[in-house]
Amino acid sequence: MSKVNPLEPIKARIVKNHKMTDIENLITIKFQDLAYSENFSYLPGQFVKLGVMGVGEVPISICTAYDKFNDGLELCIRNTGRVTNAIHNLKVGNILWARGPYGNGFPMDQLEGKDLLLVAGGLGIAPIRGVIQYALNNREKFGEISILYGIRCYDLMLFKDDILDWFRNGDETGIKLYLSYEDEEDEMCYDLECERDDRCTQGLVTKLFSMLDTPSQNTVAVLGGPPIMYKFTVMELEKLGFDPESVYMTLERRMKCGVGQCGLCIVGTGKSIKYVCKDGPVFSLWEAMNTKGMI
Amino acid sequence: MEGNQLWILEKENFNEFFNILKLKGNINAPVKQGTINAFKKVESPEEINLDYTRTMIPPKKYFIHPEEVIFTFDKKEEKYFEPVFAEDTIVLLGVHACDINAMNLLAKVFMEELPDKYYLERRKNSYIIGTSCTPDEYCFCKSTNTAFANEGFELFLHDIGQKYLVRIGSIKGHRFILENQDLFDEANKNDILQFKKTEQERLDQFTLELEMNGLQNMLDISFDDEVWDEYGEKCLGCGSCNLVCPRCRCYDVQDYFNLDLSTGNRVRKWYSCMLKDHGLVAGGHNFRPTTRERIRNRFNCKGSLREDMQNCVGCGRCTVYCPADINYVEVMKKVRGVSIE
Repeated sequence: MSKVNPLEPIKARIVKNHKMTDIENLITIKFQDLAYSENFSYLPGQFVKLGVMGVGEVPISICTAYDKFNDGLELCIRNTGRVTNAIHNLKVGNILWARGPYGNGFPMDQLEGKDLLLVAGGLGIAPIRGVIQYALNNREKFGEISILYGIRCYDLMLFKDDILDWFRNGDETGIKLYLSYEDEEDEMCYDLECERDDRCTQGLVTKLFSMLDTPSQNTVAVLGGPPIMYKFTVMELEKLGFDPESVYMTLERRMKCGVGQCGLCIVGTGKSIKYVCKDGPVFSLWEAMNTKGMI
Repeated sequence: MEGNQLWILEKENFNEFFNILKLKGNINAPVKQGTINAFKKVESPEEINLDYTRTMIPPKKYFIHPEEVIFTFDKKEEKYFEPVFAEDTIVLLGVHACDINAMNLLAKVFMEELPDKYYLERRKNSYIIGTSCTPDEYCFCKSTNTAFANEGFELFLHDIGQKYLVRIGSIKGHRFILENQDLFDEANKNDILQFKKTEQERLDQFTLELEMNGLQNMLDISFDDEVWDEYGEKCLGCGSCNLVCPRCRCYDVQDYFNLDLSTGNRVRKWYSCMLKDHGLVAGGHNFRPTTRERIRNRFNCKGSLREDMQNCVGCGRCTVYCPADINYVEVMKKVRGVSIE
């Protein structure tokens, strides 16, 4: 029997704290314990429980591919509650506590050899970014990569450097990035629309589907975003004839333990109870269709 | 000697049994308190009420404390400390089969995959003596197939009149009998016949029944059923059902600083899926915003299977202690499409 306490927080230090928007910071942490660090590996879509001593813990998805782990673990954190506010107040060199990684992550081996259609809304880009990085690091293993990213306004665009680079220079690496923005008055986004009106439009992320070339039969769709986005995105994907097993999505729920004990993330019916923390957070559309209340 | 050997404990020897058992650790047993029964530390057999139907709070409280410190921390030292696991052996005397089966289910959550250190330390230090019971109008463990415990106890005492028939449930129970041979007699053919007879009489006394076959599928196709509107409307969202359920184990975790603002505790406490913030995430989205979604979630969780066992042991507590008079069996019957008079 294991002597390890799965709930024990592991000490990490903040090595970078980059303000991305008014409410989101990209925080890079490194574990102090080298042995722990060496054994730490993960898939895109997995998450950690991140904590501040005396304040609490929150589940945060990892937003880099494992290849980049030596530079630290990158976590995109929106200031939206007590714990995330405390994290935002920390500076480079301060201590954060983390444990994990938890969850299943995206089945990257099953995605290999496929064209990828990645759909993200707002903060949903965080877990999807790891998938994009993974695909770029193993470029030859993937076909065409299309990204649909929906934002509210230019100021709330996350990973601006990456996104604008893929938007402008994606053709060189075989990435097509499509951008939608909600705020009609947004001049910066309007400029982007003028720059590439075949890649950028005002409206919701689902509007971008009309700009897409019909995806190949060999395409897998990967979704990250708020619950409302899934419903409408899935409708678009169904119109395009996507098979429920070639659509993956990552879900959000309240979680305290991360290991299938605390019961907060339970979804489904008597026939299909799932723990989002350990059975997910990544589910195929087929699983979602068979687990009522999931999306 | 066979492991499944049956023994007899004469009722006149019960006090002696109690005294020897007490050497293992503090004995906790059902005690009558006003109108309810509660598991409490007892010093003498006279305090015990073995003739009880159900306690209000199930014996899970000994293994998952209603509130417990899982770590202490010191901000100056930048360290978390595990609490010291120096608890005495937990001796429970008078646990009914439903509660033993519920604890077996909890063990599946807390002792498999990633074992929970706190639960594990207490459970392996425990000593559980089961006793037989008589069902009342709220008991339906016969339907949930939990009216009999096959494992998860050391010894099980079945009242067969003038004596107890004793079943062994673990190696610890086996050792106890070996060490105290003079207290027990081997059960003879008549004792076994008497045991079978009383067991059958007990099973015949159940008045409440719930058909379990296919319940999972019935719940699945009832996701949008009116039954959730009806009971969601009735439910007060108080969470009593969760606290009295021997299988409910949702927990919340909170950090508290001490007054020195440097040291403090990470505390885990019983939580309830019927409370409004159970499904609330950062940013204000609530996945189960009303009692309709919450009561549906609770019944689906109860009705779901973990391996071959469903997450309800038919103890009847949630029905008995619901301040809104929501009847578990009645709800499930409506889910099954059975009309209720």
